[in-house]
Amino acid sequence: MSDDPLLLLDGVTKTFPNGTQALRGVSLAVRPGSVHGLVGANGAGKSTLVKIISGAHQPTGGVLRWTGQDRRWRDPGAARQAGIATIHQHVPLVPTLTVIENVFLDRRGAWRMTAALRAEFAALVDRLGYRIDPDAVVADLPIGSRQMVAVLQALAAGAQLVIMDEPTASLSEQERRVVFDAVRRLSAQGTAFLYISHFFDEIFELTDRVTVVRDGTTVLDEATETVTEGMLVRAVTGRELLAVERADTAGPDPGAPVVLDVADLSSAVGLRDVSFQVRAGEILGIAGLLGSGRSEILRAVFGDDPSAAGTVRVNGAEVGRSARAAVAAGVAYVPEDRAGQGLHGGLPIWQNVSLPDLARLSRGRLVPRTADERALAGRAVADLGIVTPGVEAVPGELSGGNAQKVVFAKWMYADTHVWLLDEPTAGVDVGAKADLLRLIRQFAAQGKAVVIVCGEFEELLSAATRVLVVRGGRIVAERQAPRTTEEELLMLAHGLWTEPSGPEQAPEPSDPNEEEMSHER
Amino acid sequence: MSAEATPGRWRLPAALRLGNAGVVYAFALLVTVLAIASQAQGRVSYLGPTNVANILDQSTLIGILAITTTIVLISGNFDLSVGAVAALGAAVCLSLSDSIGFWPALALALATGALVGLFNGVVVQYVGINAFIVTLGTMTAVRGIVLIVTDGRTVTAPDGAAREGLRAIDGGAWVTPNLYLLAGLVLLAAGIWRAARTRRWRAPRALVPLVAGVALVAASPALIFTIRITQRTLYLLVLAAVAAWVLRYTTIGRRLYASGGNAEAARLSGIAVDRYRVVAFVLNGTAAAFIGVLYAARLGSINPTGLSGFELTALAAAILGGTSLFGGLGSVAKSLVGALILVTLKNGFNILNLGANWQGLVEGVVLIVAAGVYTVSLRRRQTRRIREVETPPTGSGPPGTPDTGEAGEAGDPPAKVPAAQKGD
Repeated sequence: MSDDPLLLLDGVTKTFPNGTQALRGVSLAVRPGSVHGLVGANGAGKSTLVKIISGAHQPTGGVLRWTGQDRRWRDPGAARQAGIATIHQHVPLVPTLTVIENVFLDRRGAWRMTAALRAEFAALVDRLGYRIDPDAVVADLPIGSRQMVAVLQALAAGAQLVIMDEPTASLSEQERRVVFDAVRRLSAQGTAFLYISHFFDEIFELTDRVTVVRDGTTVLDEATETVTEGMLVRAVTGRELLAVERADTAGPDPGAPVVLDVADLSSAVGLRDVSFQVRAGEILGIAGLLGSGRSEILRAVFGDDPSAAGTVRVNGAEVGRSARAAVAAGVAYVPEDRAGQGLHGGLPIWQNVSLPDLARLSRGRLVPRTADERALAGRAVADLGIVTPGVEAVPGELSGGNAQKVVFAKWMYADTHVWLLDEPTAGVDVGAKADLLRLIRQFAAQGKAVVIVCGEFEELLSAATRVLVVRGGRIVAERQAPRTTEEELLMLAHGLWTEPSGPEQAPEPSDPNEEEMSHER
Repeated sequence: MSAEATPGRWRLPAALRLGNAGVVYAFALLVTVLAIASQAQGRVSYLGPTNVANILDQSTLIGILAITTTIVLISGNFDLSVGAVAALGAAVCLSLSDSIGFWPALALALATGALVGLFNGVVVQYVGINAFIVTLGTMTAVRGIVLIVTDGRTVTAPDGAAREGLRAIDGGAWVTPNLYLLAGLVLLAAGIWRAARTRRWRAPRALVPLVAGVALVAASPALIFTIRITQRTLYLLVLAAVAAWVLRYTTIGRRLYASGGNAEAARLSGIAVDRYRVVAFVLNGTAAAFIGVLYAARLGSINPTGLSGFELTALAAAILGGTSLFGGLGSVAKSLVGALILVTLKNGFNILNLGANWQGLVEGVVLIVAAGVYTVSLRRRQTRRIREVETPPTGSGPPGTPDTGEAGEAGDPPAKVPAAQKGD
């Protein structure tokens, strides 16, 4: 590795027009031919940083030096021209064109295909060491191959630095190997990589140097070999992980009846033998990384995954495999995508709130009593402190936290026994977050069974009484919330706790849970 | 438009704004222009009882289809097959009524229409092929079946039972009581109902219809306006009333709007979205077969290429009425007005003796202008919403800010407009 950095950032800051300070001073140096890891929690400023490097945003302050010269990109095209290629998580290829046409998409020239282009493609494929049919249509390729097409595209553009944003998030283990091999091979030839990943094991395996950003500043920047897992976790979370305020985690009465009983849930999307029970008054947390199957479990329990097999019982009665049956059985589902799945943006709040329970609010189950519906919505607005001009407002006009409260209100006044919450506090401001967490505890106090999925483990621990860790579509560990830490959950979710045995079985340190499980039965 | 421009205190109620009631204004404008023009040319009075009855009669077939097409569009789908299904229904009814009798043949025709609708719905919802493609296919295929059934020849209703049956479903006509009196009584009833419900007799929402009702009833001995309602027009009115009631007031309607507006959220709220959408197709197919028979009843025969392009006219009427092609938005009443506009245009061209050649051009322009008005008003509403969201959420907004949206002053707006229409 040469000593002159290819890309140097020094004290880069970014303040958005609305006053949000996304970056407060990030410094990093990428050397030619190196693989540089970039790690940070959601909202730490990673994506803003990538956008500045790739020219989508202008930095507010600081230095961006590319091959020894101070540069400011006018637009992403300028950065690309200079040799910086960005491969996003959702690869923006044209699905209806062939591989070779995608690779040379930005070439000018009258002909769609020439012999020269084919020769160039062959040369690129040789460099990459990955065989791919140039005439295959991209839509027919698996995601892993599409990543490779994007890499080829970057090479064809003459990239000296390739930024990869979570390239393996939706790849199988085998496809991951292919991407890793390509990265290693190309970096040996002198192409530099900026590799962004949530998976710490990948960072350790692949990168030469790792930079951690938190709250818009660089908090760690060292050669990977000198970094330990603990350092990484601490740098990402910024704490020794003590100060988590826990709820009065007395937990539920161990003799409380089992409300939700899930047995042997498997599905085409990759769930395997998921079984768990939730007692009345219990808040069960599901911890896992993006793509671990955490959301899929909730969907399958709710009956919204037609490929799912297994049984779901609510209060002992088996629930049919449809969302309709689940709703009828008293299961409430707060989906991850609020606007797309949780709410009707065009219907006023009062119609949104009454929708799951409309029949009960209607004369003869046919003619809705609109006055009652409005009164119910008004009660929800008061109970939950929803900031809205009135119940006639449409949810599209509300802020994230208030819209989420409307989703909660849809199920609060119905005969709900089980709450399935998928990222209930995502994109919600601090005040509303506290409100929602209090609400969730209140549900448990009323004797409901609550299952909550949350990518922020600190928050998960502050809400849940018991936590299941999910990786690769199966439950790999179980912990009592008071007796675990965010760090431990992170390790388990990353698959780092049991490196030799892999995520095959529940790891040894979960012995206390085995007891837990056995005495539950 | 003017309502958007006046910032301060008074704003036009949501139901009367251009984006919501544009089609009604357009219809009123069109009728006024035609009435003045025909007056100036010294032709028959355009708004006379004969012509009004004529327009209603001519609107029947397209009106019925516009209603059921609107239902399909609200549910989030699209149906191009109804013109062909109508021809098939007529062909089935006429060619079978000789052998099995008229009423069984009619039932069979309706069942055929329902079956095609069921096929459309099942393929679209459960196989998952785009509705446009599926119904384009059934449109072509069903027209082919009509040719097979009729062997390419016009089918004429045989004399006797068939003719009598056709007369039974389409021959009748009634003269209405004085419409001024009727309208007055309806207004009175509405005013009394509203007042009784809110217990506020002086509120304009109750007072206006009460006063107008009293005035109309009082004037009714002097003002007399009666028209001759044909039997088919009665079908239209009944269907429109039932459909409007179901969509506006029942859980079925609410769930239909919800299914079309956001299918995913509706399903996750426990609504059987697929079932609602299939039923909409079945309804559309059945109605199509029925209007096919009505069409044949007047002619006494059905041509295998008859009723071609009817599906597009029905769609045009629905679009004129502000129905969204993306689902979740639309109103039976307004689609009906849309159908009336199309029929009035045609009728006006005839009455004023303008060249029929110009008709298509004018209809097309009207359609695009209408869609443009809806799109612009919807976009304006959305940009306003974004501006509202960007202002910092400092608890309850200061009074008079626009973020009360359409709801603030209207209080209880739905009487005129299905509330589901107010968003996007």
